[in-house]
Amino acid sequence: MADGSNALIDVRNVSRHYVRNVDEVHALDDVSLEVPAACFVALMGPSGSGKSTLLNLISGIDRPSEGEVIVAGQPLSTLDEDELATWRARHVGLIFQFFNLIPVLSARENVALPLLLTDLDKAERRRRAETALRVVGLEERFDHFPRTLSGGEQQRVAIARAIVTDPDLIVADEPTGDLDARNAEAILDLLRALKNEFGKTIVMVTHDSRALRYVDEAHHLDKGVLLTGEEAERAAAALLAAAGAHPMPPARSDGSS
Amino acid sequence: MTHTRLVLANLGRNKLRTAFTGGAITLAVLLVCILLTMPAAMDRLLEDIASDVRISVHNKAGLVYSMPGSFTRKVRNIDGVAAAVGMVWYGGAYEDGGKVTFPNFAIESEHVGAVYPDYPIEKEELADFVRYRDGAIVGAQTMDKYGWKIGDRVTLKSTIWPVDLDFRIVGRIDNPQSPHFWFSRTYLDEAMKAKLGQAAGFVGTIWVRAADPSRVNSIMLAVEEMSRNSDAEAVAETEKSFFQNFFGSLEGFIRIILLVTGLVTLCIIFIAANTASMNVRERSGEIAVLKAIGFARRFIFGSLLGEVVVLSTVAGAVGVGLALGFAGLLQSLAGGDGSLGPLGGFIITAPVLVQGLFLSLFIGMLAGVVPSFGAARKPVALALHEIF
Ligand SMILES: Nc1ncnc2c1ncn2[C@@H]1O[C@H](COP(=O)(O)OP(=O)(O)O)[C@@H](O)[C@H]1O
Ligand SMILES: [Mg+2]
Repeated sequence: MADGSNALIDVRNVSRHYVRNVDEVHALDDVSLEVPAACFVALMGPSGSGKSTLLNLISGIDRPSEGEVIVAGQPLSTLDEDELATWRARHVGLIFQFFNLIPVLSARENVALPLLLTDLDKAERRRRAETALRVVGLEERFDHFPRTLSGGEQQRVAIARAIVTDPDLIVADEPTGDLDARNAEAILDLLRALKNEFGKTIVMVTHDSRALRYVDEAHHLDKGVLLTGEEAERAAAALLAAAGAHPMPPARSDGSS
Repeated sequence: MTHTRLVLANLGRNKLRTAFTGGAITLAVLLVCILLTMPAAMDRLLEDIASDVRISVHNKAGLVYSMPGSFTRKVRNIDGVAAAVGMVWYGGAYEDGGKVTFPNFAIESEHVGAVYPDYPIEKEELADFVRYRDGAIVGAQTMDKYGWKIGDRVTLKSTIWPVDLDFRIVGRIDNPQSPHFWFSRTYLDEAMKAKLGQAAGFVGTIWVRAADPSRVNSIMLAVEEMSRNSDAEAVAETEKSFFQNFFGSLEGFIRIILLVTGLVTLCIIFIAANTASMNVRERSGEIAVLKAIGFARRFIFGSLLGEVVVLSTVAGAVGVGLALGFAGLLQSLAGGDGSLGPLGGFIITAPVLVQGLFLSLFIGMLAGVVPSFGAARKPVALALHEIF
């Protein structure tokens, strides 16, 4: 904000330490990152490198030990727990690896859930849920319950739930991690369309090298540190090489040789 | 999609578990309603059979000890006493084998009507009872048990007096719960004189009718004052407390009932809390996601707690309904014939119903609060980290 950058997300010298028994785990160490509006960004890196931790800080699910996260001009550290929850409900759409839909609610009801936090009336909540389901291509599935949907369809319901409040920012933590290759590509396609057609800013954690074909930028994390310069290029090249060697690599591929 | 829909949908998630927990709460509330009704039912029973103005006087040492015969006359002269009748246990057995199967007393027949004006005995039968020296008045329970009719003759063999007596039944105490067999004291005394040359000069219990309820206390004090330091110190009790002794201490009984009620409640709270925490654990993924997408802690807490409270209140209402049905059934069974005795007086009162409903609400609150609070309080990032 003060420096006049037009970034939607501004992560400034952020660290996150977890105290586990007596040990301190440095999940993130002095990470800085800017993400422009209407940009599709991938956070990549091996398991345990701090990707989810960074994503949680960006989406206001967690707070940094040090540093500051500013999203759309809002420094998140100034919000208390409940304000932060309200802020997330208004401004962030969240997608997870496991869809975690509520099994006893229909697709439409699952999607309408976040709208309970608004003061829209019942009919309007229903209308918006149906619109969101149409956007993700599930206009035929309004009244289906999660167990009657395929994995790919369940993830689409979860994406509809994430966009139903029309947030500026969508964060996705390994959204294709639990899907087969065909469904994974379809979800990546859908996310890219959300950026292109609706101007959403999307931050996605993945270690799926296929994602590189869909995103505008990829950032690489290793042991809690954001790689820059040559290191980052080397990580990207390794991922691309792996993707080249296996035109359709399995979703869980780590991309190392 | 509404909050209510979410809570109800969650209840339908594991129908068998919901049904079992609900069933346990229903049974507990039913049991508690019945337990809470017990003391009231007994009280009502005492009200029914005992009068406010009758006082029993007996030897302080116990019901089996006697008092001097002259005592009855003295009691009769106490201020406020309307009538008094002395009686003595005859211990007569009707059946072979010498077992006493109903209470039988030699009683001052000419005073019975004055002490028991509320008893359902025909005037002519009372008059016959006074007129015939071998006349007996018998409670409906015993009459019906042996198929006796007025005019029948029966013989009782005494287990404690050296005389066996023949009686002519002249009257009936028309109360299906009354077992008494009363006959004239004069008849016993004459038989004793004939056998041993002298009659027994003592009395077992004296029943007194006060002129009005406000005199009862002063009469009881006067009786005890009068007998103090005599060789047969007497105690006076109202008819109610006299019968309470038969039931044991009513207060101790109530205390036990409350204790059992408390334990049942506690037990059911643990069962319901166990269900609630199982639910919370199974749904930890969903709960974490709900929190992440912006549901505040109080919403999570409220909907989880609401779920348990709705379940327990509905189950409790069913329990209360069953208790009402149960009481109604007992009453209709007891209707008329009285064979169920005191159970016919089993009436579930409005306060008991309210207590039952409150109890189920309380069970839900207490069972739900800990798991719901734990789930609501857990930081989102930690919850997500644990499930992914
Ligand atoms: N809530 C937490 N409590 C303790 N340690 C955590 C927590 N979240 C993450 N960590 C640790 O921080 C490190 C980074 O985790 P994470 O950001 O989940 O990695 P990634 O998503 O890249 O696999 C790991 O060592 C992980 O065990
Ligand atoms: Mg992760």
